[in-house]
Amino acid sequence: MNSLIKLELTRALRNRRFLFFSVLYPSALFLLIAGRADATGTVDGTGLTLPAYMMVSMASFGALTAVLMGNSERIARERESGWVRQLRLTSLPGRGYVLAKTASAAVVSLPSIVLVFVVAAAVRDVRLDAWQWLALTGAIWAGSLVFAALGVALGYLAAGDAVRPITMIIYFGLSILGGLWMPSTTFPQWLQDIARWLPTHAYAALGRAIEQNQAPHAQDIAVLAVFFVLFTGGAAWLYRKDTLTA
Amino acid sequence: MPPARAVTMNAMTTTAAPATTPVVGFEHVSKVYGRVRAVDGLSLALRPGETVALLGPNGAGKSTTLDLLLGLKRPDSGTVRVFGTGPREAIVAGRVGAMLQSGGLTDEVTVAELVRLGCALHPRPYPVADVLARAGLTGIADRKVDKLSGGQAQRVRFALATAGDSDLIVLDEPTTGMDVSARRAFWATLREQADRGRTVLFATHYLEEADAIADRVLVLHRGRLLADGTAAEIKARAGARRISFDLAGDIDRAALHALPFLASIDVSGRTVRIRSTDADATVHALYGLGVRPRNLEVTGLGLEQAFVAITEAEEAKQS
Repeated sequence: MNSLIKLELTRALRNRRFLFFSVLYPSALFLLIAGRADATGTVDGTGLTLPAYMMVSMASFGALTAVLMGNSERIARERESGWVRQLRLTSLPGRGYVLAKTASAAVVSLPSIVLVFVVAAAVRDVRLDAWQWLALTGAIWAGSLVFAALGVALGYLAAGDAVRPITMIIYFGLSILGGLWMPSTTFPQWLQDIARWLPTHAYAALGRAIEQNQAPHAQDIAVLAVFFVLFTGGAAWLYRKDTLTA
Repeated sequence: MPPARAVTMNAMTTTAAPATTPVVGFEHVSKVYGRVRAVDGLSLALRPGETVALLGPNGAGKSTTLDLLLGLKRPDSGTVRVFGTGPREAIVAGRVGAMLQSGGLTDEVTVAELVRLGCALHPRPYPVADVLARAGLTGIADRKVDKLSGGQAQRVRFALATAGDSDLIVLDEPTTGMDVSARRAFWATLREQADRGRTVLFATHYLEEADAIADRVLVLHRGRLLADGTAAEIKARAGARRISFDLAGDIDRAALHALPFLASIDVSGRTVRIRSTDADATVHALYGLGVRPRNLEVTGLGLEQAFVAITEAEEAKQS
């Protein structure tokens, strides 16, 4: 299976468009939003400066992009092209394909997260303790598994031309409503009530709690856990269905 | 006494791994899609070392049969065994190498990278360079897989199917998209594989390939096995020879139809075409009618004509 992960990585690293959107784009977006923003005031109800707030948002957004966008479309396309069938003629265990996809996405998402941190620290002087940097990296990286599972599920759910628009809608919906692009505290109250239950909101809240030197909220952990079970369960179910009909 | 011991040893070995275990065993296998019986009560056994061609018109169930054999589909009833185990177990053990028409290749990687993966995934791989060379890919090893012609892509699939030391090689329409010389080179490579004692099963609709390569031909029609034998036997069954001649004067159709060993007869204008299971006897009887056939020709049926004859006869029987 390591050989497949290696091949997936080689391919991901060759795909410039994918690399740009998952590694450089979040940092660029961070500069665009927080580059000139006032760093003295704080975002409502968080006690964090806008750069610190947006740093976590954009690191989460970058990880989300890397694990969701690459895999859903790729899996759908490779199911159609018959590559998945081809792999089933080898000794690779059935889940090996999905695991290799997830693992290679995780390898790409890590530099995406770290790059946002480096840019935020260098350009906007975001300062945190060493343990906070480490915990942030770990939490955002591990949390991205929730969305990796979603990407796999989408890849097995949708086919052909449908997969890109569906992925896009979910991707932008989760990003914007989850408050990754702008603080959800700027939303009208009814929208905030919805946003609180989105996995992306809980995901970014996890990182923010670390920045605030607080324990993560139980609700956020619960929301992420429930979505993780939902997405992996869905992916496993769809995968099995696909295996029986391919 | 050494000889007696040898016999005992032999008997014990036989008990441990029965020599009769077929490479592939189908028992009353059926697969239904909606109202179509793609495979209908199919039973067959492949023996070690055979090179077997699977023939059938489109929709005969060839692809479904191969999918069932490779565990990509599950039968609705009946059992499929490969080396005495389930298909998936045989594949995981590296005993089966396969190339499917529907088997896609991933993009943005080179031929060599893909073949390297194929070797890495095989329990008993061959060196990557050997696999590339045997499939005729050495010259294009650095080319991206998505930039290949149809024939080149087929060779990559073949390389993946022969990346390691498998005992059974399954090929679905392997030479599709290849030109004549590539096809010839391909079959030479495959012969080599078969000569090493491998069992080879291939589906094709180039009947001359089946005729030239296969020890055994299976004719599939509407999911059922219509004929199973050597190419020569299949030809014999379909009516071994074709007799054609012209007749001057009146044609006594009834007398012609009464000729012995006729498989079919077709009279158009002055030309008579006959398929006969015993051409010598038919021609002898023809002269016995007192007619003077001209331009008499007796030719052997190709496998293709035999195949058409067999499947047409079956169609006629069913309708």
